Amino acid sequence: MAVRHLVREARRRAGLSQAELAERAGVPQSTIGRIESGARMPSAALVDRLIRAAGFELRVGLGEPDPGTESLFERTLRRTPRQRLADATRAARFALGGRRALRRARDA
Amino acid sequence: MPDGDFDPARMLAGLEGAGARFILIGGMAAILHGDVGVTVDVDVVPDRELGNLDRLARALHALGARIRAVGVPEGLAFDCSAAFLRNLAPDAILNLTTQAGDLDLTFRPSGTQGYADLRRDAIEVEAAEGLRILVASLADVIRSKEAAGREKDRLALPRLRRLLDRVSGDG
Repeated sequence: MAVRHLVREARRRAGLSQAELAERAGVPQSTIGRIESGARMPSAALVDRLIRAAGFELRVGLGEPDPGTESLFERTLRRTPRQRLADATRAARFALGGRRALRRARDA
Repeated sequence: MPDGDFDPARMLAGLEGAGARFILIGGMAAILHGDVGVTVDVDVVPDRELGNLDRLARALHALGARIRAVGVPEGLAFDCSAAFLRNLAPDAILNLTTQAGDLDLTFRPSGTQGYADLRRDAIEVEAAEGLRILVASLADVIRSKEAAGREKDRLALPRLRRLLDRVSGDG
């Protein structure tokens, strides 16, 4: 997740406007706006300060990339939109079939 | 609608074939951009221009559209006319069931100003053989899901942002 999304997600989860978060963090509102729009890349210290001001804690660690979603993206992005729609249709029919089977089992 | 009949291509072809102007948004739009999620309905944003509502009403009629209702699998009959569509509130959402699956009409999705707003960044996509439709940009799909704030949207958003970063060369 890009830093701008992280800051915005924290602010929204906290139910804060940009002005409110800026006031809590002691920075100008324009700073928040520029970070969230991607116009400014904040320092790690500033990100930590903003996340804390929103009531959260920034945790940084090293981990393996999630191979699941990434490899699925690899696959879908190689396919054409037509193929993606066909795949989605099959997946939806499978999901709808499963949903109906569960309903029948519950009603039995 | 039997499960096997879910056919978004047929649904979209019905709208397109009637000459209705619309933009695909929501989960199916995200999938056309490369998302790996599963969705069981189609969301479209129609142009509210009067002639277009007439074409849209004809397309819906041909698709056997009925109002979706819990406990009523076949849906509820409604006045599927341009007049009915014209009188809907600007932010109305029409949840329909059709012979080709569930279809949601949203005139002004959350966080957007509707068709003209989404049209600016929409891309034309060949969704099936001979079927070219307008699909909302992935950024706009994300914008509307952020504003809607439903649980299923919040769950999908981190994945959609990763996809956006990836396709825009930011990730």
